[in-house]
Amino acid sequence: MQVAGVPLIDFTLESLSRGGVGEVILFCCKGGQKIKDYVRSCVEKKAIWSVTMEVQVMMSDTCQTMGDVMREIDAAGLIRGYFVLAGVNSITNIHFGSLLEQHKQTCKKDKGAAMTLVYKKVSWEHPLITSDKPTFLAANANTKKVLMHQKYKPKSTEKSINLPLEIVLNHSEVKLHHNLIDASIALCSPSVPPLFSDNFDFQTRDDFIHGILINEEILASSLYYTLLKGNQYAAAVTNWKTYQTVCHDVLHNWTYPLSIETGLCYQNTYLNMGNHNFRNRNSTLSRSSSVVENVLIGSKTNINDNTVVTKSMIGNQCVIGNNVTIKGSHIMNNVVIKDNCNIVNSFIDDNCIIEENSVVENGTIIASNVVVQAGSQLRGNILESTEAEREKTLMKSTSESTEWENESSGSGGDDFIGFEKTWSDSESCYSSDGSDESSLPDSPIPEDTNIFLQEVIDSLARGYEEKLKNDYLILEINSSRYAYNIQLHEVNFFVVRALLSIPVLADTKNVLSTVKDILKYFRPVLSNYIKTKSSVMDCLRAVEDSCIKCQWLEGKCGQILHLLYEADVVDEDSLLEWRQDLEENESPIANQPSLVKFFEWIEEASEESDESE
Amino acid sequence: MFLYQGPVKELDDKFVTLIGKFVADIKHGKIRGSTNRVLAMVTLLETIITESQYTTAVDLCGAIRAAGRQVMAALPNELVIANVARRLLRAIRDENRAQGNQGIEGSGESLQRLVLAASARRATLGTAQHDLREPLRDYIAELRGELESSISSICGQAREHVHGDELILTYGASPITERFLRAAAPRKYKLILAEGPDPTEEFYSELTVLIAEWSQSHAMANRLSAAGVPVTVISAASIYAVMSRVNKVVISVKAALGGGAILSEAGVFSVTLAARHYRVPVLALVPLYKLCPIHDLTPFNSSGSPHTALSYDHHEATSDNVHVYAPLYDFAPPDNVTLFITNLGGSSPSYMYRMLSELYDPSDYLL
Repeated sequence: MQVAGVPLIDFTLESLSRGGVGEVILFCCKGGQKIKDYVRSCVEKKAIWSVTMEVQVMMSDTCQTMGDVMREIDAAGLIRGYFVLAGVNSITNIHFGSLLEQHKQTCKKDKGAAMTLVYKKVSWEHPLITSDKPTFLAANANTKKVLMHQKYKPKSTEKSINLPLEIVLNHSEVKLHHNLIDASIALCSPSVPPLFSDNFDFQTRDDFIHGILINEEILASSLYYTLLKGNQYAAAVTNWKTYQTVCHDVLHNWTYPLSIETGLCYQNTYLNMGNHNFRNRNSTLSRSSSVVENVLIGSKTNINDNTVVTKSMIGNQCVIGNNVTIKGSHIMNNVVIKDNCNIVNSFIDDNCIIEENSVVENGTIIASNVVVQAGSQLRGNILESTEAEREKTLMKSTSESTEWENESSGSGGDDFIGFEKTWSDSESCYSSDGSDESSLPDSPIPEDTNIFLQEVIDSLARGYEEKLKNDYLILEINSSRYAYNIQLHEVNFFVVRALLSIPVLADTKNVLSTVKDILKYFRPVLSNYIKTKSSVMDCLRAVEDSCIKCQWLEGKCGQILHLLYEADVVDEDSLLEWRQDLEENESPIANQPSLVKFFEWIEEASEESDESE
Repeated sequence: MFLYQGPVKELDDKFVTLIGKFVADIKHGKIRGSTNRVLAMVTLLETIITESQYTTAVDLCGAIRAAGRQVMAALPNELVIANVARRLLRAIRDENRAQGNQGIEGSGESLQRLVLAASARRATLGTAQHDLREPLRDYIAELRGELESSISSICGQAREHVHGDELILTYGASPITERFLRAAAPRKYKLILAEGPDPTEEFYSELTVLIAEWSQSHAMANRLSAAGVPVTVISAASIYAVMSRVNKVVISVKAALGGGAILSEAGVFSVTLAARHYRVPVLALVPLYKLCPIHDLTPFNSSGSPHTALSYDHHEATSDNVHVYAPLYDFAPPDNVTLFITNLGGSSPSYMYRMLSELYDPSDYLL
């Protein structure tokens, strides 16, 4: 993944080496081999950071979250001193050495100091705040000890903040911050990895912060924070909007001395064309083309007649045809854009070909190796047409032959999926007893719930095929539930959802009899989870969800409900309540003939029973 | 064989690592100040000369040229560092010629020989196979001595240029102007120090607790006034207003260019322009190692962090429609400088090209 033409990992490693870090441990949970190869090739090329520090790449496929990584580190005993914890997605020019020194001072005063969080203060309107999760922080003004930490969802409508009274009463001076950028950088004491091991439910750094603040007395640890001053820059790439902002900042030199030339060790190949336009010496621009502002053009890229480029990054070896307009877009390497195209606010990955007269607009994201046919009109999500909405992009393929790959929000590249940590031994430039660096998972982890669903489906499918005992399956589901931190009502939902998604169903011809079979077999599992009224509602919601999402269940909603009803899983009252819900929410299945029929039957049955009584 | 046509040696891995380390040190700010950087470069080249197996002039030139090119490519803003390579190349050439002459006649160069054969031999290296490393080591020691003493010899001339009751203006903070002005302190002059855009320096007490945050110019003003010079600090905006009262302007430079122009910290151009308007003499303090055989500026004006102009806290800073420029250097044309004070004495801008040909060989201008 590249930011302003430089692989993100280069920025991170360079800033670490500038910061006086002696040893880096890169922790990868995915695509580790690629990162390993990349690091090796950089060392061969004698990149500047490779001279001053050692990089060690660690791979682990089992680690899903940062918590797992920290536990792994603790188990292996890799870190024994103070260390820096940073994400590969953070770009910064701070000097880690002096910050770490500061953290050690804090530790001297307070033995329990576990972590110092690094924040950058910006204006409230800053795009990094508005598009990312805003943080609210309450802290003791004198000691800089964090008292409260809260993250909001992007664009949350919550208007009030609850500040416990004792925070104000117990401290003479309290500072409240709301305009902070979290650069996902933290300075940690040696006690941090064991804390992760002791509290196995800490998944991410936010969990850690939260856990520490709540259980301050029990864990005997506390958190501090520090704000960056003046020319120090720090930001993290978390989604497309922040990606755009960080690219802009790099191009405008806010990250000085990190720049577009970072990572290129022995050549400074960019020419400054004024107005923050940069082009590689090897790039060719037609005389009649125009480059307006904030543009970066990579090497061997060719831009032909009457093309207008503004506020965009174009990678290496691209060919841009005549009369093309490119605005606010990110185009990676080896992309071919033919004549008369119009590309606005979009992201085009490596090796794509955009044929003549295409229009690509409004936050379209095109994955690598895609061919867009001539004359296509791609508009990501027209309702939300600002660049800010990139993460919500929908992939609507307008031409049948094009293959779309939906890139989830966040980062797509391989370099992205990695953890990183370093430690500098006693030989490092500042005399410390070891400082380390480790990082957050930088690609957004596939959502826990999705993994959980997949796991449940897998266990059930296996259980069904091998006819395992239901007790074991319940145990298995419960353990996955704790591993992924899933709420009880979600478990109910997902178990039913999984039951109806077992792969056998997709292959079989007679779906209903298979469903019946499955329900019969898993009766004990169901009765274990579906006990109370609210769990029945969860179950029904799951049925609704599956009927919408699974093709093989199309139009069979009523029959499935009938089966559930017969199996005594659901009762009449909840069915009727659920039906009201369906109608209120205008669910697409509410008017399905099978469902209508089922409810008619239910009503008749209840009337009959009433009469018989 | 002309040297720039000569082969550029592929350097050993060992040396490439050394160069990488040197570049990293400079980029990470571990070597501060141009003198230290130049001395570090001398040490680097010395290691390459002594540890490599090359003995002949052609080989040595190739190696040094390669090292110089690599460093230049990695640090295009450090114009001065490449000058060391140029000086050494010139020395290799001279030594080679001297050795060649000895080989033929067993005596030193005669005036007649120099005159008769000058143009033909100037840039050639000949085929003679002498071990040049020994004489080069002597030359390097000499060069190092010259570099170390250059600032003090410039400061030694301070009293010739600064007189009693004069009002001197300087711009920004620099170690060399500070030493120069301090050396002139007995003259009882007055100093106006215009603040440059220099970054603030953080001052830490022994326990690494921040005690003060000063701009470098303020710190310099503080030290000078402690040395007994009456200092007035003004903002860069009011330079023009006070210029009419000023007797002399003293500035340090980043590099002196071949035509007599100077490259210096951003803002110097306006200072020299104001001085020129009021016909105030401008003295540029140039140790000779800062004299570069280049004339144009275009690729060298790199920009620094724009936070000196606009704080990142302002939301305008990240607005798409705002462009903030913070150039690091300023170019002042030869007309704006009255006198260059080098370690060999004062010389006018029009004489700088002559200095160039004394220091370097013309075929080395382009490394």
